[in-house]
Amino acid sequence: MSIRTRWQIQVVAETERSELYRTWSDGGGLFGWLSVTTHQAIGMRYIVTAFIFLLLGGVEALAMRLQLARPENGLLGPDRYNQIFTMHGTTMMFLFAVPVMEGMGVYLVPLMLGTRNVAFPRLNAFGYWMYLFGGLLLYISAFTGTAPAAGWFSYTPLSGPQYSPGKGVDVWAQMITFTEISAMCVATELIVTIFKLRAPRMSLNRIPMFCWGMLVQSFMVIFAMPAVMLASTVLLLNDRTIGTHFVNPAEGGDPLLYQHIFWFFGHPEVYIIFIPALGMVSAIVEAHSRRGVFGYPAMVLSLVANGFIAFGLWVHHMFATGLPQVAEAYFTAASMMIGITSAVQIFCWIATLWTGRLRLTAAMHFVFGFLFIFVLGGLTGIMLASIPFDLQVHDTFFVVAHFHYVLIGGALFPLFGGFHHWFPKFTGRMISEKAGKAAFWILFAGFNLTFFPMHILGLKGMTRRIYTYPADLQWGADNLLATIGAFIIAIGGIVFIANVLWSRKHGARADNDPWNAGTLEWAAASPPEKFNFAHIPVVGGRYPLWTPSEQQGLVVGMRNDRREVLVTSAMDAEPHHRLVLPRSSIWPLLTAIGLAIGLVGSIFAFSWYYLAAALGMIGFIGWFWPHKPVEVRP
Amino acid sequence: MTPSNTLDVAALPPYSISSKAPLWWGQILLCVIEGSMFCMLIAIYFYLRLGVDVWPPPGARTPGVATSSIALVPLLASALGSYWASEAAKKDDRRGMILGLALNLALACLFLLFRYLTWSGLNFNWASNAYGTIVWSILFLHTFDLVADLLFTLVLLVIVAAGRSGPKPRLGVHVDSVVWYFLVGIWLPLYAVLVWGPRVVGVSQ
Amino acid sequence: MKPRMAASLALGLAAFCSGCAVSYQSSVDPAGTQAEQIAVLWWFFLALLGAIFVLVMAFAVWPLFHRHRGVNPEALEERHEPSRETERKLGRVVGWASGITVLILLALIVISVITGRATAGSEPPRDHLAIEVTGSQWWWSVRYVNDDASRILTTANEIHVPVGRTVLIRGLSHDVIHSFWIPNLQGKRDLIPSRVTTEWFQASRPGRYRGQCAEFCGLQHAKMALWVIAEPSDRYDAWMENQLKPAAAPSTPDTQAGQQVFLSHACVFCHTIRGTSAAGQAGPDLTHLASRLTIAAGTLANTKGNLAGWITDPQSIKPGNHMATVPLRSEDLQPLVDYLESLQ
Repeated sequence: MSIRTRWQIQVVAETERSELYRTWSDGGGLFGWLSVTTHQAIGMRYIVTAFIFLLLGGVEALAMRLQLARPENGLLGPDRYNQIFTMHGTTMMFLFAVPVMEGMGVYLVPLMLGTRNVAFPRLNAFGYWMYLFGGLLLYISAFTGTAPAAGWFSYTPLSGPQYSPGKGVDVWAQMITFTEISAMCVATELIVTIFKLRAPRMSLNRIPMFCWGMLVQSFMVIFAMPAVMLASTVLLLNDRTIGTHFVNPAEGGDPLLYQHIFWFFGHPEVYIIFIPALGMVSAIVEAHSRRGVFGYPAMVLSLVANGFIAFGLWVHHMFATGLPQVAEAYFTAASMMIGITSAVQIFCWIATLWTGRLRLTAAMHFVFGFLFIFVLGGLTGIMLASIPFDLQVHDTFFVVAHFHYVLIGGALFPLFGGFHHWFPKFTGRMISEKAGKAAFWILFAGFNLTFFPMHILGLKGMTRRIYTYPADLQWGADNLLATIGAFIIAIGGIVFIANVLWSRKHGARADNDPWNAGTLEWAAASPPEKFNFAHIPVVGGRYPLWTPSEQQGLVVGMRNDRREVLVTSAMDAEPHHRLVLPRSSIWPLLTAIGLAIGLVGSIFAFSWYYLAAALGMIGFIGWFWPHKPVEVRP
Repeated sequence: MTPSNTLDVAALPPYSISSKAPLWWGQILLCVIEGSMFCMLIAIYFYLRLGVDVWPPPGARTPGVATSSIALVPLLASALGSYWASEAAKKDDRRGMILGLALNLALACLFLLFRYLTWSGLNFNWASNAYGTIVWSILFLHTFDLVADLLFTLVLLVIVAAGRSGPKPRLGVHVDSVVWYFLVGIWLPLYAVLVWGPRVVGVSQ
Repeated sequence: MKPRMAASLALGLAAFCSGCAVSYQSSVDPAGTQAEQIAVLWWFFLALLGAIFVLVMAFAVWPLFHRHRGVNPEALEERHEPSRETERKLGRVVGWASGITVLILLALIVISVITGRATAGSEPPRDHLAIEVTGSQWWWSVRYVNDDASRILTTANEIHVPVGRTVLIRGLSHDVIHSFWIPNLQGKRDLIPSRVTTEWFQASRPGRYRGQCAEFCGLQHAKMALWVIAEPSDRYDAWMENQLKPAAAPSTPDTQAGQQVFLSHACVFCHTIRGTSAAGQAGPDLTHLASRLTIAAGTLANTKGNLAGWITDPQSIKPGNHMATVPLRSEDLQPLVDYLESLQ
């Protein structure tokens, strides 16, 4: 046990520990639950809520697959089908994929960096409430008869006031405001946490790959999300409700303007979903190969390059609109060259697997599944970057196959791997490896059965977003296979959920570090105490738990009677000052409620924006109102 | 406790009124978010311009050069008030904070008066045509942000004047100056686009 | 593990091979010059990228079979990192692999751009046949452009082209964004309101090719199809001459009665039959309806029974479409259908 650093086992005086418990406990009852600002609780809320939306999106997918299983099927009429595919895409992209990654980030990043909370705990709570309210807005509207039906991307003029009357698209547009505010809150707090709250001596070249993933993703959110707010709320919603002419050609507007702004967000969006998953793959591969990932600098550079280049690709969603030749050549080149950033990471992971000592856990199964599915999807992406070919398969099921391969393979499989890998940390118990591996195989088989035939359907001319198709086009067999596969995926999901529920109660108890992993989250208890670490660690290397204890240290001198964290310098993490974080507060929820009232009202009348601003301002004033002066004696 | 390597941080202060404070960084990021929205609005202005032959549409009065340009004076000066307050916050100078914030607010209100004059001088609105849409959108978003921050600054002034000037309000004043510098700074390219844009890239019939 | 993966692959291959059979609307069954070039590009990509996929998977899966063979296992145990020598070797391998990847991607970019210029360069070949296609919810208006105004043909939902001649499609939209796509012949082109988009194709063999709207355009996007019929030049010229003639005057009492039904009901508000007083523009031109393969934009085969059903209750066939349900007396339906089916 020479490598196991003794400082991990923080023998701390009982009085110190109980004081920390008191300081970091949330109030009791419903009021306490609504006022929580600790990052583990909020992260878990994001994850659970996102998972519920995943299930809803999955049910929508099953409905679509049932309708398409046979030609000329009568299960769903065109209006219902159009609503369902719109809800499916919107739910998966806005209400599941981004929030679940944020939840994992909010939970794990402070633990990995050796601190106790995110930099802005109340902003964290506020962001969650905004996300929840946005999802409720969409689903309550849908269940009461006002569902959007213009696709998850809502192209104009179809989504405009003339061709989509009613409030469905308005609800869609304003829901995006909620989810984007939420994403921007998480991005802001994670960037500041990663730069300013790291454990001493954890210089930037020592932070875990998952934190690099969240850092790159957060910057991408900062630059991409404003675009979707503009597209949905400023362009589309205003054209629909107050008569602006952004996309109205009769008065100088342009329908393609909407597409440009939307895809300027839309392309980075898929990398926003995918890059945290790449960080998870690194974390899992490192822990279960028993070595640090090969080529850390190359991996970091690839992530950063990926983040940058992703902003230069958006027009590849618009190849069919007819573009100048120079633009065509540029966007083809950029869309292909971004493959390099993924390729380098794949090569580095393979190098790590080759030279590590593999432990084939359920989490590693999902990593191998990721490699298979994501690489296949990435290669069809290279094909799609080629304009002549794209013009044949654009808006067909070939594209549906492609993006499900890269999103499910590239984001969902790593996420499920992450759930199995961090389950002991989240719950304090081991998840059943057998059931995890079974879930993997069912999901893997079901996924490929569902989506591989879609490549063929696209080549055979089956366009997207159609509620039915004629029998003589011979699309029935592949569609039936896809439907069967979809139900197999559902079974895999059920096995996973059952595993989680069973293992939470009956799984073997886990200690701090059941995997003998190297990063700091495994130094905290399983599940972590709300203050994470009784003493902030001083790290001596990139993998603190694999570094000899003589090179590590502990921070002393912080007060335990208030929620203190240590602020360190951005590059080398030299301690600079202590920061007193707020305790529980109801103001984030109140502010979110105020904003929600105003934003929902703005769907009906523009003046409700002023009410939103007023209520939001009252909320922020209450939030920041200085109650007690901070005791400045140390 | 077993390890001999301990790092004692008891001597470090429990706050920092400087650009090293996390709140300062957070505010910068919020300004980056807002700034990218404004940059996209500028891009939209030129995109719409390229889509038509005549810009602005015939008969549309562009924002007045005189009122818009004179207005820059109180705007830039208000940033000085903000700077004064921010420096006073660092030094825990309550009087300096109050005077700086008051100056900032007074000049901001003067700027808003000019803004009102410019805006009311337009003979089109957001629903007239695409030109009207983008001009009103830019003016509206900037004014909205300005008024919101003005109200916040007013609240800070009240808090400091009422005697609560511990580290939290001081940090608030210091960080609020970041927002003000942003709102002043972002107006300069927006002003150039709205006032001078038609004269540089416009085409009349 | 292996049997299941193999099963997935086998299933996929079987399904895949079924796509190689001749079928309408398939981009891998090209019948036009451009589609042929694109198909070649597709097979090349499939072969190259497929081989790369197999190679990368082989490398990825290899450690599963040689598990305890880290290159320097003893270094790994203590320090969780292999020796410097190992890392250097890996660095060289990863470096080479990345370099080769860059070169392959550059080559693919060049190939794509070249193919793109060949299939859709900036200028159509000179001697082309220009056809204007206007997408509406949920049908296609087709207009054969001509300098001679008497030879401009307006029809709907079915395009005839001569084999071997370049056809220039000028795309417009009447309402929302649609997309014109005939997979056997060429890639797709969006039809965007207030813009004109263009693409061209050249059929290389006679045949009937089905296409479908490829941009979600509302309730009946699924049933907005069209047919392109490529024929030898002489057959095409004969077709064009016939189409340019006004509608045949009804010759039997039954069809004459049918014409009266047509002209005295709301049909005339939307439809044109040249040679009569019906001149509506909102719906397809019906002058030579009987000469077409399908009705309702490719939704139904053009038979009397289908036409009767369509006229009686369009909403049950294409729910949400913009054709009004015109109330007819039951004795008017058959003559009307007979008349319309006489319009060759």
